[in-house]
Amino acid sequence: MATATAETGFDLALSEEQELAQRSARDFAREKVLPRAAEIDEHGKIPPEILREMGALGFMGTYVPERYGGSGLDAVSYALIVEEINRACASTGVVLCSHMSLAVDPILHHGSDAQKEKYLPKLARGEWIGCFALSEPASGSDAAAMRTTARRDGDSWILNGTKNFITNGSLGNLAIVFAQTEPGQKHKGIAAFIVEKGTPGFSVGKLEKKLGIRGSDTAQLVFESCRVPAANLLGELGQGFKIALSTLDGGRISIAAQAVGIARACLEDSLAYAKQREAFGKKVADFQAIQWMLADMATEIDAARLLTWRAAALKDAGEDHILAAAEAKLFASDVAVKAARDCVQIFGGYGYLKDFPAERHYRDAKITEIYEGTSEIMKLVIAEEILKE
Amino acid sequence: MKILIPLKQVPDSTVRVKVAPDGTSVVTEGITWSISPYDEYAIEMALERKDADPSTVVAVVTVGPERSRDALRQALAMGCDEASLVRAEGAAPLAVARALAKVVAEAKPDLVLCGKQASDDDQGFVGPALAELLGWPHVATITKVVPAEGAVELWREVEGGHEVWKAPLPALATVHKSEKEPRYPSLPGIMKAKKKDIPERPLDALGVDVAAPTWTVVSMEPPPARGGGKILRDGDAKQIAERLATALRDEAKVL
Repeated sequence: MATATAETGFDLALSEEQELAQRSARDFAREKVLPRAAEIDEHGKIPPEILREMGALGFMGTYVPERYGGSGLDAVSYALIVEEINRACASTGVVLCSHMSLAVDPILHHGSDAQKEKYLPKLARGEWIGCFALSEPASGSDAAAMRTTARRDGDSWILNGTKNFITNGSLGNLAIVFAQTEPGQKHKGIAAFIVEKGTPGFSVGKLEKKLGIRGSDTAQLVFESCRVPAANLLGELGQGFKIALSTLDGGRISIAAQAVGIARACLEDSLAYAKQREAFGKKVADFQAIQWMLADMATEIDAARLLTWRAAALKDAGEDHILAAAEAKLFASDVAVKAARDCVQIFGGYGYLKDFPAERHYRDAKITEIYEGTSEIMKLVIAEEILKE
Repeated sequence: MKILIPLKQVPDSTVRVKVAPDGTSVVTEGITWSISPYDEYAIEMALERKDADPSTVVAVVTVGPERSRDALRQALAMGCDEASLVRAEGAAPLAVARALAKVVAEAKPDLVLCGKQASDDDQGFVGPALAELLGWPHVATITKVVPAEGAVELWREVEGGHEVWKAPLPALATVHKSEKEPRYPSLPGIMKAKKKDIPERPLDALGVDVAAPTWTVVSMEPPPARGGGKILRDGDAKQIAERLATALRDEAKVL
């Protein structure tokens, strides 16, 4: 779909390595992940060999530099890979999204050299999975109201509190945990910590049962006098809130790419079904009512993808991408939910059955409007950006 | 050991083939191109040798148009060490084999592995023709290669088992399948491939005879649309089974 019009200063062409990465991810997703997507949803578990192979293929460290054991590609390549994996299975896709955007990315951007050398190689190869622990039972979008505390004790920090809705929470070997070091200071008192699984006092609480992305684990993380070495403070004291927000800006690009992948699954499955199923003596695809749905889906997916690529390209260029990422996530998640609704409608009664993928897309799509900033928060971010001048 | 794989870029297996308006070719505009699947098996087989013995050098070459460079880049990204392109448009199969014989003479591989046939025209010509031009031993449709003192053991699947052939090196084999499915290019592999040069020269520069007996495509047509199925409804299971057996024998003629 990319076209090169470089002479006009508007170039959407992918580089050779971006195309190869997209293709590798597409072939892998189609051959290894898609055939198991229904089973992953049904059993609520991703076969470990799928995650192992994603690690071996370098997907789990797509834009981590080679010197830290990563693949050395860029955020655009990452968006391409995320779209392909989510086209096949949104549960598998979100493991990659959370790991790379929310755990690897903050270490890459805010970690000390020692932290990068210690953690990035394992994470980039997928030997370790990472997660991001910000939300709490009583604070989601209002992150500054968090109650988890960190108290300095000699060469350590003592963490106490509970984190909720943590994607990769039980699968993860490492968590980026946000806590108040100066309770009462709201967002100014928040710091970020790298906490390894197995640290005494760190345990995984209950696993949530969900509407969609059922193969991905969403867990409660509990910290009870959990002693974390001072060397594991990520960034500076008081910088935690900033780290969380900038991490989420990047994370929104990956959720936008996930939404594009889910929407594409809806379109491709709808096209295949509409071309084959007959009603009133003709193909379902021959009815204009269906053609309009398909045309809207195709147009909106292209638009969502372009917004996503633009946000990723801005991130790669080191430019401000707060507005672009929020727009991409707001729009793409809406496109995914609408495409899933129309996909079920095109499948008719079969769309409501578990024997067909439409109902899975319908359940999977919804979360993209909620996590990593709800659509309402996206609008607040966008409004703030466009009003601030 | 040095292994050379001549590969061909063909329309991807997911492409829905359409006959062009001229009625003698297929539409190639805007389609996805890939390494021919049997050539991919040959690459995988060679890379499995390289996994077992890292001193193995795996090279790929293609005689084809400029777009085939993408297939070579993909082979490098899978883990091949070297790639080169002989640029040619529509060369006859025998001319391709002669060009490859020249490449083999320069590259001096110990083993040449070809896909048993290309998935576009399915001729299966180039592999055996290349062995003939080189005067090398040739074993067809192998599934495994095992090095043996100055020779290779080449495994073939036969009815109910397998045969093992032994060929002195250098030798040529055509590949039916590798032990594992061909690997996907990893991202680190892609970045490594990016740094590699793919030297290119036109077919003319090889000085081979390009005149060859050839053929022309007279016409191409898609297979006829499939007729509707038949549902056997009335009667109990035994009666339906009898009518099914009769239909399979007398109408479908598959029994």
